[in-house]
Amino acid sequence: MAESRDDFIIAIRSAFLKKSTKQKFSLLTLVFFSVFIIVLSNLNFKAISVTKSIIKEIVYRSSFIVSIPENFIKSSYLNLTEYTNFYKEFKITKEELDQLKSENISTQIIKSENDELKSLIDGYTTTSNKILAKVIVDHESPFLRSIIINKGSKEKIKIGTNIYDRSYLVGRVIEVNYTNSRVLLLTDLNSNIPVSIIPGNVQAIVVGNGDKKGEIRYIKNDLINKIENKGIAYTSGTGSIFKSGIPVGTVDLKDENEKILINFYSDFTQLKYVFAEIDELVPTSVETKENDQTEVSSNTEQIKLDLISDELQILEDSNTKFLEENKELNTLTNELNKQIEILKAENDFQKNVIQQHNLDQEELEFLRLNLIYSSKCQSKKLFSTGFKVGTPEYKECIMRKGKISD
Amino acid sequence: MIRFQKKNLLYKVYTWLPILALFISVFNEFDLNYLNIDYFSFNFPFILIFYFALKAYQKFDYFLVFLAGLFNDAVVGLPLGISSLSYILICIFATYLRNITISPNLIKDWFYFLFIISLINSINFSVLFLFFSYELDITLFIVNNFFTFLFYIIFSIFFKRYLKSLDD
Repeated sequence: MAESRDDFIIAIRSAFLKKSTKQKFSLLTLVFFSVFIIVLSNLNFKAISVTKSIIKEIVYRSSFIVSIPENFIKSSYLNLTEYTNFYKEFKITKEELDQLKSENISTQIIKSENDELKSLIDGYTTTSNKILAKVIVDHESPFLRSIIINKGSKEKIKIGTNIYDRSYLVGRVIEVNYTNSRVLLLTDLNSNIPVSIIPGNVQAIVVGNGDKKGEIRYIKNDLINKIENKGIAYTSGTGSIFKSGIPVGTVDLKDENEKILINFYSDFTQLKYVFAEIDELVPTSVETKENDQTEVSSNTEQIKLDLISDELQILEDSNTKFLEENKELNTLTNELNKQIEILKAENDFQKNVIQQHNLDQEELEFLRLNLIYSSKCQSKKLFSTGFKVGTPEYKECIMRKGKISD
Repeated sequence: MIRFQKKNLLYKVYTWLPILALFISVFNEFDLNYLNIDYFSFNFPFILIFYFALKAYQKFDYFLVFLAGLFNDAVVGLPLGISSLSYILICIFATYLRNITISPNLIKDWFYFLFIISLINSINFSVLFLFFSYELDITLFIVNNFFTFLFYIIFSIFFKRYLKSLDD
């Protein structure tokens, strides 16, 4: 028994301490080194973070170089598959492009309106500057989903900077070095995204499932029924982790485990270039003006007086405007009355002309009939059946085409 | 069979092949998980380190293994030192097995390897979950552990041939 224990101790001691001729360090030393580094890397000393940053810079660059052959094989395979489906995809894409062009115009209008409203609410506007970044390392670890991009603190990238693939959200920066940064992808288990889902405007949190999709969690039970298949999820901006209104993905209710999943718009395995959005807050003119006024009128009485005088000024201004409008309206009424008089006179004149014209027509008819029927209506001495010329009876007889009334 | 002239540069590179393979695999994260098979992945460095530490291959410097661990942490995004500790622990267990074994047996080594990687993955998972608050899927760890165990037997055949070619 004692012998076997001795053997065990000898074997352990040998494994830990015995150093062969070619080895520079014993394994025990290296274990201590490892533990020391783990502890040290969690301390926020500047020297440590600089050293960590340097190591990571070197490692990322080396990893990029070492990955070139593998990436070449992968991209060649993808290109080959793309060429086989080229024509079909071209047709579909063309149709989509036409539709998107029309939608883009209305989107731009909404965007500008949205910006204006935001600046009024928040008192500042964000000027975003999207910079293009290359993905230098995208090795998918089975446990963690992250990529390395070739932009770092040198280009004003900060922890939390939002990263996009076109206009779709990809993730956020979780580690910044001088010339590169690590981006935590939305599919990672540690990624939490506050989203709004339309239709229904349901608020939820999307958590990466560690594979290719996201899973909707932290939602009220009664709101689950409001979520529709293919509904659109976009960032709600809650918690200020992500900006609001960025498209994330579509709802997928077809999961076997009855989980509500999100199909992300972007394929995170195919990322070559991404956009990093660098935000700067610019105070609006309204905000600065308000700030100045507050500084001058520090006491409340002064503020009240200012408000009353402002109100008075507004009332006076509006009163003057009303008076001016009234004057203008009076002048307009007079002018209109004059026009009515003129039009009345014109109307009378035209009526007279029409009446005269009717009389002339009647006279003309009489003369025409007179030529034909005068012999029938004139009085004769022997047979006194007619009428004397010029009498109304004579005219009546002519108008009745020579028929004498009883 | 290709035979190298000893003291030739190519021969020297050939003798350093395990270390080179280790560094390439940590830089490149060689685990075939881009095949898009659900949950499929395996840990090639674990297999390589265990095998060559067990065989006490002279060019297999533990300090370089330690460095490879640091690089792996930087590439994957784990806290620095975690993989180094795992790799060194594998070396320790492999050395212990070598010391207590009189007649080596591949199947025994294989199951011992399963025990070792399970233990080390458990330590990794616990440290990351408890001390660093990482959200991790335990299924991925278990599947990774299982495939690493399965692939050991395949790779050990290649490694054996490699060592034999050096002896010749």
